[in-house]
This record gives sequence, structure tokens and C-alpha cells, in this order.
Amino acid sequence: MDSVASYQRFPSIKMREVKGDYCKFELRNTDASMANALRRVMIAEVPTIAIDLVEIEVNSSVLNDEFIAHRLGLIPLTSERAMSMRFSRDCDACDGDGQCEYCSVEYYLRVKCHGDQTLDVTSKDLLSSDPSVRPVDFADPSAGIDSTDTRGIIIVKLRRGQELRLRAIARKGIGKDHAKWSPAATVTFMYEPEIYINDALMDTLTPAEKRSLVESSPTKVFEYDETTQQVLVVDPEAYTYDEEVIKKAEAMGKPGVIEIHAKEDSFIFTVESTGAIKASQLVLNAIDVLKQKLDAVRLSEDTVEADDQFGELGAHMRGG
Amino acid sequence: MAASKSPRQHNNLGKKDYSKLRELFRHHIESFDYMLEAGLEKMLNSIDPVVVFDSLSKTKQAKLSYTGKFFMQVCFQYGDGPDGAVIREKFNFGQFPIMLKSRRCPLGKADSEEKVVAHKEDPSEMGGYFILNGLERVIRLIILPKRNYPQSMVRNSFRERREGYSDKAVIIRCVREDQSAVTVKLYYLNNGSARLGFWIQGREYMLPVGIILKALIDTTDHEIYASLTCCYDEKFDRVKGCVGTQLIGERAKIILDEVHALSLLTRPQCLQHLGEYFRPVMPEHENHGFSAVAAAVLRNYIFVHLDNNHDKFTLLIFMLQKLFSLVDGTSMPDNPDALQNQEVLLPGHLITIYLKEKLQEWLLKVKRTIMEDLDNPNKKFDIGSLALVKKIIDKNSPKSISASIENMIRTGKLTTQSGLDLQQKAGMTVMAERLNFLRFISHFRAVHRGASFAGLRTTSVRKLLPESWGFICPVHTPDGEPCGLLNHMTASCRITSFFDSEGKIRDFFKIKRSILSILVGAGMTPSLPRHLHGGPPEVLSVLLDGCVVGSIPSAWVEKAIFHLRKLKLSAKSPIPHDLEVGYIPLSMCGAFPGLYLFTSPARFVRPVKNISVPPQDNNDIEYIGPLEQVYMEISCPDGGDGGRRDQYPATHEEIHPTGILSVVANLTPWSDHNQSPRNMYQCQMGKQTMGFSSQAINCRADQKLYHLQTPQTPIVRTKTYENYCIDDYPLGTNAIVAVLAYSGYDMEDAMVLNKSSVERGMGHGHIYQTETIDLTEQSRNSNRTPRVFRRSNQDSQVHHLIDTDGLPYVGKRINPDEPYCSIYNEIEGKTRLMKLKGSEPATVDYVSVDMKTRKKANIRFRQSRNPIIGDKFSSRHGQKGVCSQLWADVDMPFSAVTGMRPDLIINPHAFPSRMTIGMLLESIAAKGGSLRGEFIDATPFPDSVKKSDISLVVELGAKLAAAGFNYHGSEVLYSGLFGTELECEVFIGPVYYQRLRHMVSDKFQVRSTGIVDQITRQPIKGRKRGGGIRFGEMERDSLLAHGAAYLLHDRLHTSSDHHIADVCSGCGSVLTTALIQPARRPVRQMSGLPPPRVPKKVTCVSCKTSKGMETVAMPYVFKYLAAELASMNIKMTLQLNNGAGA
Repeated sequence: MDSVASYQRFPSIKMREVKGDYCKFELRNTDASMANALRRVMIAEVPTIAIDLVEIEVNSSVLNDEFIAHRLGLIPLTSERAMSMRFSRDCDACDGDGQCEYCSVEYYLRVKCHGDQTLDVTSKDLLSSDPSVRPVDFADPSAGIDSTDTRGIIIVKLRRGQELRLRAIARKGIGKDHAKWSPAATVTFMYEPEIYINDALMDTLTPAEKRSLVESSPTKVFEYDETTQQVLVVDPEAYTYDEEVIKKAEAMGKPGVIEIHAKEDSFIFTVESTGAIKASQLVLNAIDVLKQKLDAVRLSEDTVEADDQFGELGAHMRGG
Repeated sequence: MAASKSPRQHNNLGKKDYSKLRELFRHHIESFDYMLEAGLEKMLNSIDPVVVFDSLSKTKQAKLSYTGKFFMQVCFQYGDGPDGAVIREKFNFGQFPIMLKSRRCPLGKADSEEKVVAHKEDPSEMGGYFILNGLERVIRLIILPKRNYPQSMVRNSFRERREGYSDKAVIIRCVREDQSAVTVKLYYLNNGSARLGFWIQGREYMLPVGIILKALIDTTDHEIYASLTCCYDEKFDRVKGCVGTQLIGERAKIILDEVHALSLLTRPQCLQHLGEYFRPVMPEHENHGFSAVAAAVLRNYIFVHLDNNHDKFTLLIFMLQKLFSLVDGTSMPDNPDALQNQEVLLPGHLITIYLKEKLQEWLLKVKRTIMEDLDNPNKKFDIGSLALVKKIIDKNSPKSISASIENMIRTGKLTTQSGLDLQQKAGMTVMAERLNFLRFISHFRAVHRGASFAGLRTTSVRKLLPESWGFICPVHTPDGEPCGLLNHMTASCRITSFFDSEGKIRDFFKIKRSILSILVGAGMTPSLPRHLHGGPPEVLSVLLDGCVVGSIPSAWVEKAIFHLRKLKLSAKSPIPHDLEVGYIPLSMCGAFPGLYLFTSPARFVRPVKNISVPPQDNNDIEYIGPLEQVYMEISCPDGGDGGRRDQYPATHEEIHPTGILSVVANLTPWSDHNQSPRNMYQCQMGKQTMGFSSQAINCRADQKLYHLQTPQTPIVRTKTYENYCIDDYPLGTNAIVAVLAYSGYDMEDAMVLNKSSVERGMGHGHIYQTETIDLTEQSRNSNRTPRVFRRSNQDSQVHHLIDTDGLPYVGKRINPDEPYCSIYNEIEGKTRLMKLKGSEPATVDYVSVDMKTRKKANIRFRQSRNPIIGDKFSSRHGQKGVCSQLWADVDMPFSAVTGMRPDLIINPHAFPSRMTIGMLLESIAAKGGSLRGEFIDATPFPDSVKKSDISLVVELGAKLAAAGFNYHGSEVLYSGLFGTELECEVFIGPVYYQRLRHMVSDKFQVRSTGIVDQITRQPIKGRKRGGGIRFGEMERDSLLAHGAAYLLHDRLHTSSDHHIADVCSGCGSVLTTALIQPARRPVRQMSGLPPPRVPKKVTCVSCKTSKGMETVAMPYVFKYLAAELASMNIKMTLQLNNGAGA
């Protein structure tokens, strides 16, 4: 083993910005496969809770049953509990019928329109059996009472005499199975760019050339300082790897005036959550899930269980 | 580019403007309205009174009422009264179908959208169709030859009429005020004479023109000679515009000599001659004198659009001059396929003439019964007794008249003796399918060339001719069989009607009089009093609706036209705004010159801007017809000067270049950047899209409706989209489309959909299907046992599906082959269950029962159709594709900047050969538009209207660059699988995608074993019955070529009709072998042991031996072939060997 160089690395995360639904962090000392794995897990494998079964008692609204059920499914529910909940298919308490407190949350919706005004049925009308799992509230306390956010997510509109009565069961699931369980609105990462300006070559450019070079980038990466007549990098991360600046430099006959490389081992992540889990929690959960997955592989590496767990794949992983 | 900042303005105002949309349907409704208001009366007046004994004339009057059926079958009662002098009796003529939104329809009276909605119809309801048995049917617009306009024609078939006929003729389709038409042909004979041909009772009669000329008016040979030859003047011989030649005098002599040869010199002699000739074929005139018969012939068959014999005479002279000019080559034949010589058959007109014929038939029938009763001495029949006459009329089922109209609209078939002067008797109506809104609109804008042309092998009728510019859309025609025959009118094209702009019926008499006075003021010499007029090039004949009203010096004609056009613009002048001023100028051997004015209905017209005259009453929009358009100077904004340079300055201007496109073609964004066939494909696919077919979907019981659950309004749209309120019926989704070869699942027009996008609702849809169960109807066919909806109390298994009333629960999901409805037979005491057909579960959406009888029920099912592999999608640029994979969201490429993953991936190879640049532009524009939150106007030919220095791409690119995106719309994407940057930048942006109705769920076919054909024992065909797909000759050939013998044997034998036959090796027959059943011996049945196997014993019946029987595997059809051959006394013998020696 000694002859083989160790590939062990110690990835580090540095949180840059954390807001409820949004966070930005740096991931360093690792490679693209790890970064992408984290992204994929965040989108598709961090569990959340979403409505999965709808029993409709009365529906005299204009939308049909499937439509309403689909809309209910897409409502994000606060899913802090999700990591500790059971998948209903693995639930021992209810023999997999998925209706017990360990693996499900029950909702009721009973609305009827009595007035002449159109009644909006929103996610706020859903009554939950578990107060910790409730439809995400986007309300901004500073906004007025009538702002669209405070009314919740509209499910259907009712006119006079129309009624909607249903029971819904929310279960734990992952985004791989259905997009409604995905906690991430957007997860993306970029390679950190290294921008190098060849000052000697840059000095050969006229101010007008410098200005047009700066302007050739659609995003504001560079700035031209009129007083010092210098091209400065103001925001390297605004660079989208579009190579517009480099093409421009080549067109000017000065290739190499600006060189940009991607750092292969550091990534800047942007995470936006649907509100089901806080963005920061989403990252932590994703790391947990990723760990579990790796554990599953490592633990079963040389055990007989591998055959049980992975079947042929297990043998394959062991080099069989 | 003008991006509208508030595209839903109409919403803000609360009211949408449907007037433009309704305008598209107007010609259907107006023609029907006219029929109701005045046309029927005119028609009834023109029906020949049936005369029984001493002049018992019949007049009619109409009474209206309506009943509702299904949705809104509005009916019409109709009265008729026989009277001696004043008595009027009402008769019920049955239920008459009424067009929706016509003046007799409650929707037509509803003035606000709320009222229309109260009738459970869409707020935008346009009407124009009929509802019969719950089906919506439209009367097709069919191209007819232009009425009252003599056209010269060259056809080889004319030669075969009789000996001596040439291939040249002048044909005029004359239309009476009641819209019935009679075509008259003027043939040229090789000897220089001419024959006038017309049809009476299915036979063509051809008369020497001389007789007709003389029979029409009191005239002299000299007058005929002079009026014929007046169009020739030696001094103009071979001058531009001269139509006459020296030969004309010779021909006039021949014509007159022919009449002399028959020794017909005077008018009475000619009338006598005609009367004698025609009385046998005119049964209604059998008691009349010869001259009266002759007068009837002239009135009813010759130039029926003219009432006056003098007008007929002058028209005949004009036609002769045109014919001779055609023969001499001084004028060209008219092209019957060109739009300038065509008009359209309108629904109201068709119904009027059909009704007229039916009424005439019925009157003759009534007359016959009365006559029979009168002649019958046993019956005491008194014609004076009104009650008896009424009884006879009632006996002759007057209600059948309305029924026959209804039948015509329902089947599209005309059952007529005379043919109504139409070329076709079937296919007059079509279903107005509500597959989606575009398809629905198109039914009302479609113009068919006529079913008789569909079978023609020549393609000349299908050609797109320059004459149809602005009237017929060059893009919107189907490809394949009906290509070029089924055309669509442009969005701005209109059909003239009897109504003026204020909705009042036009007074044609007044219009004609004012036109005449204007013409006379402009220098026209009226044709009355009779005196000689010259001919071209000196003077031009003026025809007003097929009547030669005079002649005008050719030097003054342009001024007269200028004046007429000016008056056309003015709202106050009595000249109608859609008067067609067809001025055919003098030319060297071109079309026959003249000034042809038309005020008639059923003509095509379209608006253009008149720039030669100052606006009259603030109006500079002139409506022009196809006949005048050819000779007008109309400049098109993007066409430069059109080659007319300075000599011929433009007098008119197109309003917008998109005026040449139909509504559907106008919806394609930037269609001017696409290769033209792609726009044609889009016109087809737009009509196959799943979308919102109707707003009132819950009140409808269509057999099949497609419905898109989550439609969107396109970000990039044309002005037409807003003008016609397409937002009420959206048909697609803005999908983020990435153009790259990813996954390998996007080859050959396949496309990869993002699984998460689909799960979030993209392209979700439903199919609504309605089953109508009519218990009264079924019992008529079989036994007359009364049946009711009721469920069985014994069979409680179905109780979870069927309610106590025998009908399903609304909202219940029903699987294939499960019952949804239970019918109880009261006599047999049995219940029968109706089971769900098909292979997909359906949800009961809606159940309605006829509350009067409780014998009829509509059950509407809903099937979810979410996108799956194999479903078809298309952009609005003729780029269709099939979903080949639902690809996981995490595996999709993503943008590092925005985190965006595409909804849909298409292959870049879809572009180079198809050149749909419009789609690329749409992607860029929609990206810019969605970044800025605005809609983008993508009306084609924008730079022709608003000249701008910068190109479209520059404008769109700048918007993207301003938002920090790549100028050309491409982005750096990262592989979703590896997280690494993709080699190339990827073109990505939102494109409006349509989901097409072709779905695998309706098409997939699979079978392992199943039903086989009775006779051949081969698998049956047909998806519905669980059949297989034919492995045909060509497939067989390909396997043979590959040498795949085992596979071939498996497909064609083992998996098909494998059979083991017994063959007698003695006689070689497969047919004479018979299985001998051994005599059943009483065998002790030992319990637990299987019965002893009895050896199979086969004998040959003909050889009477059981020796040498062999079993041979063969296809069963082979044995069947042997049997078939045997039935024809052909013996088939097989020679068997064990194969080792072979």
C-alpha cells in the first residue's frame, strides 16, 4: 500500500451566506465527482414529506380529482422530521400500509363556498395531524395581510355552492421517486475561476481597447479604472466560463492578456430550497445521506451481507 | 420590436374583444340569416306554382319556433297554405335545423358574453354550425365558377359533344335571385356557327344561337348582323386591344343562314319551333301553347339571372363576341382554376336551393295525388273543399321536407334529381371537430375546390396560383391527398353577403340604379335604347352582375373606375363597400377586355389600403375582389416596387404582409424565418395539438375531447394570437429546451423529457370520452322489451361500481372490463352490464340522465394522459418529435450560473436540413422575454412595417447580453452525471411546445397468443381485437435475404398457423384422411388412474385403408388451400419422403 500514493483528502466546507431558503458555500479540497454527488443527493435523495395519498369525499370544484391530488402533492411541507421518519414501505408499525404516525401525517381539507365571492382554497386550509409538518408558509411578516404570500398556495378556487372535502396522507419520500419530494429548487456549483491578467501585455492596450475588453464579458467580472487605467478583477465568480473575454483578446491580437483557469478542487455551491427544509439543513442532510450511502458500500465490502444487500453488484464491487 | 408590456390588457378591462374572432365566422352565419330573413321568401316566389285545374295557386308563409335538443337543436316550423284567393292555412313542415348564432338562435340574440355563458356555451361562442343528434356539423365552403360572368374555356371534351363541335366555348353560370343556378354553354362550331347548350332534366340541348337570338326579341337579321360585327373596325385591325376580326361578319352570316335553312324568319316562328321542341320535356307546361312553352324555356333555362329578354339578347351577343375572339386568338381562355373566376358556395345558399328543389318535388307529388283523386270516379273529391285538400297535403308528409334538410346536413349528401348545378352530391358537410380551437376555426375558414377534383390525376387544379394572393393562404393546406384542394382563407379574407355593414339587407335594385347613374355620368352609353355600340379598343362593354348595361369609351374608363373606387370608400354613398370593379384593360391577346362590376354575394373580398384617393369619411380601406386584384397596382410593404417602377404607380397598398396568411399560419412566430414546408407542417400539427378545446367542457358530451391540464400562454407570440383571443384556448407549454446530443436517446427526432418537469405537471392531459346509452333506441332493433337502468340486488359484487340507479358513481375509477352501467330487462328479469372497453382505467367524470324518460344517459369518462415514452410533441415550427426517455432531473445537464436544468432535450441535427431559424429566434427571444417579464411580438415580416437598422438577432441578443447571458443564447452547461463542463456551449432557452394528440396509449399493439381467424387459423388483425401486426411479404423477403431461416420459420409457421395434418401417402391427399373414433368400450374406471390412452386411428376415406398415414407439419392455410382447390375440381397430391433423401 505504501507504494501507492494516498488519495485521501480532507474536504472542507466554508459557509458563505445562509438565509432560510438560500445558502452559498465553498467546497474545497475535493474533486468534481464529490461535488456532483453532493448536488445530486441534495436534489434527489434528501428525504422530505409530501402528500402522497388523497381520498376525496366531495369535489364539486371545476378541477377534477386527479388535478387537485397532483396539486396537493406539490405543496411543500415542512420536513424537519423527515430524516427521523420512516419510509412507509419499511414501516413495521403499520405493516406497510403507510398510515401510522411513524411514517405518515394526516391532513384534512373541508372547504365550501357560501358567499358570492370566489373563494380561494389554499394550503392554509389543510389541517394537519402533526403540527410540525405543515404546508410551508412563505408569508413575509412585513408584508400586508392581503399579500399573495400570506394567503398560502392556492389549490383551487370555488364559486358559490362548490365544495371540496378530502383526506390526504403525507409520507416520506425522496426526489428520485417523484419531484414533489425534492427539497431543492436549485442546487448548482461552479468551479472557482483563477483569473490571471498579464500586466505587461495589458499595458500595450489602449484605454479604448481595455474598455472594450472589459465590456466584452456579459457578466461584470472586470472593471476598468479610469484613473489608474488598469483592468481590475472585481468579481471572479461572476465569470461564467463563456470565454468571451479570451475570444475578444484573441480578436484584438493579444492572446494571453487574460488567462482564466478553473480550480479543479474547489467549488462554489448555491442552494435554494423549496422551503421544506432550510437550505443549510439541506446541505447537512445531504452529507448525512451521502455518508449513509458510502457506509452501505464500505460496510458490506467484505461481508457476506454484501451478497444479500447488493446481490451480484456486491460481488462486482468486491472485484468479483 | 414592440414588446407589449401589458399583454393581458383585455383582462384588465374585464371584457375581451371577440369581434375579430366572430368576424372569421361571419360568412356562414350571414348567409344563413339571409336565407331566413329574405332568401326563403324569394325562393318561394320563384317556385313555379303547381296548377291543378283552374289556377289554384299556392302561396306560403312561414312561422317560426324552436325546440332545444341535446345542446341546442333549434327548430323551425313552417306553414303552407293552399288558397283559392285569400285563404291561408298553416302547415307544419317539421323541425328545421337552425344555425347557431343566427338570428333565430337565442345565442345570436344574446348580446353580452354573460348571456352566452348562461346558455352554457363558451363566452366567445362564434356559431356558424348546426347541431344534429348532438354532433356539430359545418357546411363546407365549395368553390364554384363565378356567377354571371361569361368565361371562355378550351376543353377537349367539347369536341365530343357532337360532330362539328370545336373545343372552344364560352360558359356562364347564371344565378337567380333565389341562388339557384343554371349553367349555359355557348359552343363554337368548326363551320363558324355557335350552339347554345343547356340542361333540362339530365339532358343537354344544344340550339343554334340564331334561333335564340330571334326568339328573345323582335329583331331583324340586319340588327343581329350589325350588333355582332360592331366590335370589329378595320381601322383598329391588329391594334392593341382589338378583339374582332374580319371573320366575324362571315360567322354572323352563317348564324343567320342556319336559321333561314330552318325557314324560321320571325320571332313567332322561332318561339313556335322552340315550343314544339321542348313541350315533351316540360310536363308542367303540357297544357300550354307552344309560344308559352318557348317563353318558359327562355325564362327558366337561358340566362336566368336576367329578367328581361333584351338584356338576355345583348348578353348573348356579348358572349358571341367573346367566343369569336377566343377562336381568333385575340383573347385568351379564362382559367377556371384561378380564383378570379371563382366564388364560393355558402351554407344559406345551399340550403335555399336544396329546399326549393324539395318543395317543388313535394308540390308535384301533392298535385299527383289530387289529380288521382279527381280522376277516381269512386271518390267524391271536391277541389273546392279546403278540408279535403288539407287532408291530402297532410297525407303527403310535409314534415319530410325539413327532415330531408336535416338529413342533408347530417350526412352531407344531396338527394337530388337536377343536381342543383353543382359538381358534387356528397361531402357537402363536415364535422366541426373540437379537437382544439385551431382545428375548430379552420373548419369555418376552409374552402374546398370540390370533391370531383380529388380523383383527378392532373395536378393543375392543386397549383397555387398568383391570383389567390391575399385570399387563399399559401401555407395552410394539408400535404398529401387533399393538398391544394382544401385551402384556407386568409385571416383578412371575407365573403360578401346580402347584408351591409349595418346588418340590413341590401337593396340591390337601388344599388344598381345608383351605379348606373354614376356610370352614365362618367360617360357610359347605356344599352337601352337599342343602338349600336362599338367594340374594343374604342369602347368597352360594361357588365353589371352579368348584365350588359352599356359601353364606355376606353379613354374614359379609368376615370370612371377612379370615381367608383372613391365612392366605395365612402360610407354615405349608395355604392357598397365591397363592389368589385373588375376592369380588364386592353391588351394584345390577353383576357377579353371590359368593365365587369359585381355586387353579388358569395364573392371573395379582402381589405387593402387605397392610397390614390384621400380617405373618404376617415376610411381608406377598400375591399377588393380577386377579379379586379389581378389588374390593380397594389404595393406590398416588403416587396419594394414589385417591378412596376415609375410607369405604373401603386394605387393601393397591403395593410400588412401577414395578410396573405390564414389565422393558423399567422400564429407561427417569425414564420418568415422558416423554410416554407415547415410552416405548412406546423399548420397541420397546430390542429392536432392537445389544448383547451372548450371552456364549457363540463357542459359538453362530445364523443372524444382532448384536454391539456396545465397549459401556458406563449412568451413569444404574434399579434394574431391576441387579436383572436387564443389565450382562451391555449395549446402548449413554454419548455426550457436545450439543443444538444446528450444521453443518446435524442437521435432521429426523439426528445428527452425531464422526468421531474413531467412530474410537476408539464404536458399533463386528459381524454374525455362520452358513452351515450339510449335504451329506447336499442330496443327498437331487437325486441321491444322495456328496459330500465337498475342494478341487480343479487350481484353485490358490482355494488362498489354501480349505484342503485344502475349508473356509475361520479369520481369512481373503473378498470378495463369492469362494468359501469347496469340495464335491467323488465320482461326477462335479467340485468346486463355495460363494460369498459379499451386497455386503460378511466374515471367517471360526469353522468347525466334524460329526466323525462330516464331511458337515456350520458356517461363521461376521463382518462389521465401524462407524458410517457412514445408520446408526440412539437414546437410551433414543424419540429415534431417523440419522447424517447423520461430522464432523471439530476442526470440532466445544468447551468452553473443559474442551476437551470432543461425540461426537454432535442438533437442539434434537427436544424441544419430543416432550417427552422424561427425556432432558434423564438428560443432567444423567449429567454430575453422571460428574463424581463414581458411578452415578445413575433409577427412575421416586422421590418417591412417598421424599418429598423438593426437586425432581429442583434436586438434579441442585446437583451440577453444586458441580462448577463450569452449574446447568442448559448450557455456553458455541466454534465449532470459527472459534474464536469461540457465541451461545447449549449443553445438553451424556452420554446413553446405543443403536445400532439398521437399517444402510444392509443396505438401500442402487443400480442403473444390470442384469437385466430376461423378459416385460416392465423392470428387476426386489428388492435382493438387483440390482433397481431402483419409480417408481410416485404418483411419475409428481408428475412430471406438475411438467410434467417429459423426466424422466418418461427414467424410464419410456428407462431402463426402451425398445424399437424394427416396425409395419406397412398393417394397423397390431405383432405381424405379421417379420424376414426374407436368404439367406446365400457372400460372399468379405476379410481385414481387416468383413462387408458386410446391410440389415434386415422384412415384415408378414399383409399379405405389406414396404412401409410403420415403426420406432416404444415401451415393450416395450406390445408385450406387444398380444400378450396378441391372445390374447384383441382386435386392436390403430396409426395412424402422422410427428408433424408431430398
